[in-house]
Amino acid sequence: MKTGKSQKTDIISKGLWSNNPVFQQVLGICSTLAVTNLVLNTVVMCVALIFTLSLSSCTVSVLRQFTPRSIRMMVETLIIAFYVIIVDVVLKAYWPEMSSNLGPYVGLIITNCIVMGRCEAYGNANPPGKAFLDGFFNALGYTFILLIIATFREILGMGTFLGLSVPYFSGPHWDKWIIMVMPPGAFFMLAIVTWIFRSIQTSMEDKAK
Amino acid sequence: MIRKKPWFPIVYMFCLTAFFSTIVIGFTQATGERVEANEKLAFEKAVLAALPGLYEENLSRLQLHQRFTESVSPPDDSSGDAYTLQKNGQTVAYALPISGQGFWAPIKAVVGIKADKKTITGIAIYQQNETPGLGAEIAKTDFTEQFRDKVISIDGDPINIKRPGTVLGDSNVHAVTGATQTSTRLENIINKGLKEWLSKMSEK
Repeated sequence: MKTGKSQKTDIISKGLWSNNPVFQQVLGICSTLAVTNLVLNTVVMCVALIFTLSLSSCTVSVLRQFTPRSIRMMVETLIIAFYVIIVDVVLKAYWPEMSSNLGPYVGLIITNCIVMGRCEAYGNANPPGKAFLDGFFNALGYTFILLIIATFREILGMGTFLGLSVPYFSGPHWDKWIIMVMPPGAFFMLAIVTWIFRSIQTSMEDKAK
Repeated sequence: MIRKKPWFPIVYMFCLTAFFSTIVIGFTQATGERVEANEKLAFEKAVLAALPGLYEENLSRLQLHQRFTESVSPPDDSSGDAYTLQKNGQTVAYALPISGQGFWAPIKAVVGIKADKKTITGIAIYQQNETPGLGAEIAKTDFTEQFRDKVISIDGDPINIKRPGTVLGDSNVHAVTGATQTSTRLENIINKGLKEWLSKMSEK
């Protein structure tokens, strides 16, 4: 039996690295491709996902002893939708520009496979505290990959970072790669990032042997 | 045991739904006023941006609202349901709200037209849900700036949105690359709105 502390490190390293939702499990790809053309959009989207994933996994875990098995998927969807609507309403009320930038993608967190996957695989079978931690670090694992993709796409495609111009890339010597901010750019970046991270992972595993 | 009863899942789901819905409804109610104010402000901002010489980048929400109430006159019969900009009792420009179906969701916009009813002073899109990075570019100034000082064509369609790279006439603008659907739909919305408005105005 593992001690409490090593269990926590285990959850953290799984969420961020060895079981990373994006490059390892290849989940949540729809939003990965859609919102990464600007870093700011990505940041807001990721904060929304961190909030939704950690709290819904925690809530599913709180209710796990009462929820009949036959309707657990319905209950999970309900809980996820609840948190997503809260995020959506807050954005509409306090940051309408961002809300219109992200368009339907905030609402689509409800169908993000990472959220459902973590609730189903972890929240359903573990105590609330651990479920929260697991959700939080899985969302962070998603966040850091998305930020890498978004940074490259925005700099190469628009010559800016967070809307500020980047020297050289915004200048006349750099012919902006418009394709990077269009959907194909997202596929290229995702494939490259997955390739790099998986290669690092395999070489680390080989060394460990 | 109560959890073994066949009706338990139904009652459980019902109670849970009622609980979460209550919170969401309460929350939506609490922020409803602010959301509504945001939508109204987005419209007022669009009207100011479409009319000549009213919009500035750094105005606060309150300043925007003040400028709108001070300078823009509400629509009446003689303006064909368009908002107007008056100077010394004379109409200087019209701001015509238009709307229609976009590629994903409705597009709402305001077209500014000079008093001669021939020249466009600007266009501002205040509601759209097109593809981010592609269709959504119609809301950016790079695209909308093209409409400034374009002439409403008398024969054929009032305004034409043409393929990027083609030579433009007085009544043409370039479409957004990679967003043909959105561009065509926007073209239809603008033309339908302008035609209806022009026929209304010519009856007067």
